[in-house]
Amino acid sequence: MTLDRWQQVSRIFKSAIDLDGEARAAYVVDQCGSDESLRAEVEKLLDSHRQANAADFMNGMAVEYVASMLIDDNDQKSQPRILKGQQFGSYVILDSLGAGGMGEVYLAQDSRLDRTVALKVLSHDISLDKRRMQRFRQEAKVASSLNQPNILTVFEFGEVDGLTFIATEFVDGETLRSHLHGKKRKLAEILDITIQVLSALDAAHEARIVHRDIKPENVMIRRRDGVVKVLDFGLAKFTEKKHSAMKMEESEAATAVKTAPGIIMGTINYMSPEQAQAGDIDERTDIWSTGVMIYEMVTGKMPFGGATTSHTIVQILEKDPPPLSKLAPVPDELERIVRKAMAKSPDERYQTAKDMLIDLRALRKRLDVEAELDRTSSPSTPVTAVATGETEQWTQKTKVLVIALIGMAVVTAAIFAVNIWRSSRAQTSAPVVTAAPPAAERTLTYWITVQKFKDKKPYQEPFTLAGEINFETNYQVRVIVRTPQGGHLYIVNEGPESDRPEFVVLFPSSTANGGSSSLAASQTLQIPEKSWFIFDPEQGVEKVWLVFSEEALPEFETIREFANRKGLITDPARNEAVRNFINTYSAAKPAVEKGDKLTTLKIQGKLLVYPIRLEHH
Amino acid sequence: MTRIPRQHEITQLLAEWREGNQSALDELYPLVYDELHRLARRYMSRERKGHTLQTTALINEAYVRLVDQKNVHWANRSHFFAISAQIMRRILIDHARRHAYAKRGGGAQQVSLEEAAAVTPEHSMELIRLDEALKSLAERDPRRSQVVELRYFGGLNNEEIAGVLHVSENTVTRDWNMARAWLYQQLTGSGAN
Repeated sequence: MTLDRWQQVSRIFKSAIDLDGEARAAYVVDQCGSDESLRAEVEKLLDSHRQANAADFMNGMAVEYVASMLIDDNDQKSQPRILKGQQFGSYVILDSLGAGGMGEVYLAQDSRLDRTVALKVLSHDISLDKRRMQRFRQEAKVASSLNQPNILTVFEFGEVDGLTFIATEFVDGETLRSHLHGKKRKLAEILDITIQVLSALDAAHEARIVHRDIKPENVMIRRRDGVVKVLDFGLAKFTEKKHSAMKMEESEAATAVKTAPGIIMGTINYMSPEQAQAGDIDERTDIWSTGVMIYEMVTGKMPFGGATTSHTIVQILEKDPPPLSKLAPVPDELERIVRKAMAKSPDERYQTAKDMLIDLRALRKRLDVEAELDRTSSPSTPVTAVATGETEQWTQKTKVLVIALIGMAVVTAAIFAVNIWRSSRAQTSAPVVTAAPPAAERTLTYWITVQKFKDKKPYQEPFTLAGEINFETNYQVRVIVRTPQGGHLYIVNEGPESDRPEFVVLFPSSTANGGSSSLAASQTLQIPEKSWFIFDPEQGVEKVWLVFSEEALPEFETIREFANRKGLITDPARNEAVRNFINTYSAAKPAVEKGDKLTTLKIQGKLLVYPIRLEHH
Repeated sequence: MTRIPRQHEITQLLAEWREGNQSALDELYPLVYDELHRLARRYMSRERKGHTLQTTALINEAYVRLVDQKNVHWANRSHFFAISAQIMRRILIDHARRHAYAKRGGGAQQVSLEEAAAVTPEHSMELIRLDEALKSLAERDPRRSQVVELRYFGGLNNEEIAGVLHVSENTVTRDWNMARAWLYQQLTGSGAN
């Protein structure tokens, strides 16, 4: 359309629009005369006008259209939005106290009541979860109303500019986390802190409130008098869903809270077995976590802490931590109390906080008496000191990796994978999984997790497969590999068969396993780490090549750089090298042992090369 | 959160911009960005509560917060609206592009197996297409394009737009109708151009 024509059209259009029905039609005909194309142009535009009206087209603002996106993007970048001296509702922000998983915490002055408070401004995704927010408010209010001196008092819940905040009593002190600082504590102090924590829990449990997230970060010690305050009753509900294995009915909620991969959440190290398995949670979960906390205070170490989240969870579910007495001199009675608190089965734990409290108080009393006796007889043996002194450093021989910040997807996926692994192991008798093989043999176990997707959303429970089946295009998959022995693992994908196949690097990449091909014995690896593989819409057979070698393989070490660019090996020479390698070494076929849920591969020698065939249509 | 110094700052930046300092515009960007984000947040929170959506009221509030109304000359205020709408458009399109880009997997080559990207709003592509259509409208009809920008991206009402563009409210209404019909035609693919 020329400019001239445009002006003609618009002149007729703007007058016609004020007319109705026949008058409008007549006007257009009259104005356009014999110019048929002009008339068609005008009529089409008038028709578009009508349709746009009917469709409510642009009836609002662009910002409404993309509001959620804007928030997501922004929240990834900048959490702290409130500055010193700013007014936030009826509060004046005095200082920032730090950031937690739930949001920012500020020191603030309540201008109405002229008192200093701690103001926790919840992060946006949490504020938006109204239903859970309601329950949280209710529980936090009840807990606070108990007036128990070891429970942090909540003053107010409110909302300013769509941000939910909680104003609580301000405790001038430090968290138990920073107090511990990786050091062992003296027994008297451990007992003192734990007894106060349990007093808070006892009162809360009486009111049928479970904390769900007892850990040193949620315990404050007041500087002035050493009084302990337990924080965030009820708040753990929000993180819990992220921790738990994915249940489908919850995936909607998970989407609502989805936000960014950078979402901050707490450590999994204090999680009870039932939490790790997404089972039913009651007061006894808090007992477990309190046990873990005592363990940490006594030994300076976490009882459970593997190199990966999956490892930690496996440990929580299955391993008994080394006895306290191996790591520090402790009374047998404390050993017994901790073991009972950390019984894998909730039924075998202390059933109430009160029971545990009674035992700890009795122990403290006994030790006090003994100390008194010691003081009068031989003052050189300080029975109540676990560590020799405050300055003793925790030697990090077996460094515990505390995973404090993990994307929720990683955790849910890892827990999920571990749960599958556990259930599959229970169902199949595949001794290879745990037994270390003789040196000249390579062995590897794998399975595939399949998630169905509909409209880009997962639906139905994911399921696992030992391997080769026909996949539907709406399936998305993960490959999970477990290595009973250490070695170097490489995984490449070969697209639908052709003479000169192209390979795509799946592992190692820059993210999974810290970018390294080197795996330890008994390591479980999920690929992709966070999301799922989708299939090409074209029909065909994909091969996922597992290459497991005792030594690092140069052909594969040099291609990992492609993994960060969607994996395709774009350098023909290196693609060729991989093809030759696979052609040569896949001739020796490993023994394949298929269980219901997993496949075990075994071969004599130092190298195992095997294709998982994924046929899709 | 009151930001008293900010209003002064913006007034200052506007004056500098009027005097030909282009970098003043870049400095306005983050300030408008903050307000826009805050607006989006409040919008979302109201929406979830099922409140009637009053984005116009929200955006007016945003403008009031950005500019010290009493001390800004009307001409300055009009300019400010015009610039704000322009900046808001830029911000929203930037975001939409980023989302659409993420969805396409960063423009990577199609490979046999591809990691499924996170679900991104379908809306981002539509918004980008609208922006492109608006650009071609601006080539033949700058004023109508600006009406759309002020109303759809800047959230101004017809009276305010009339003030900014020095035309009658009636003209604004007609311009809007015409522009919107044309954009609709472009986006639904029924336009012969």
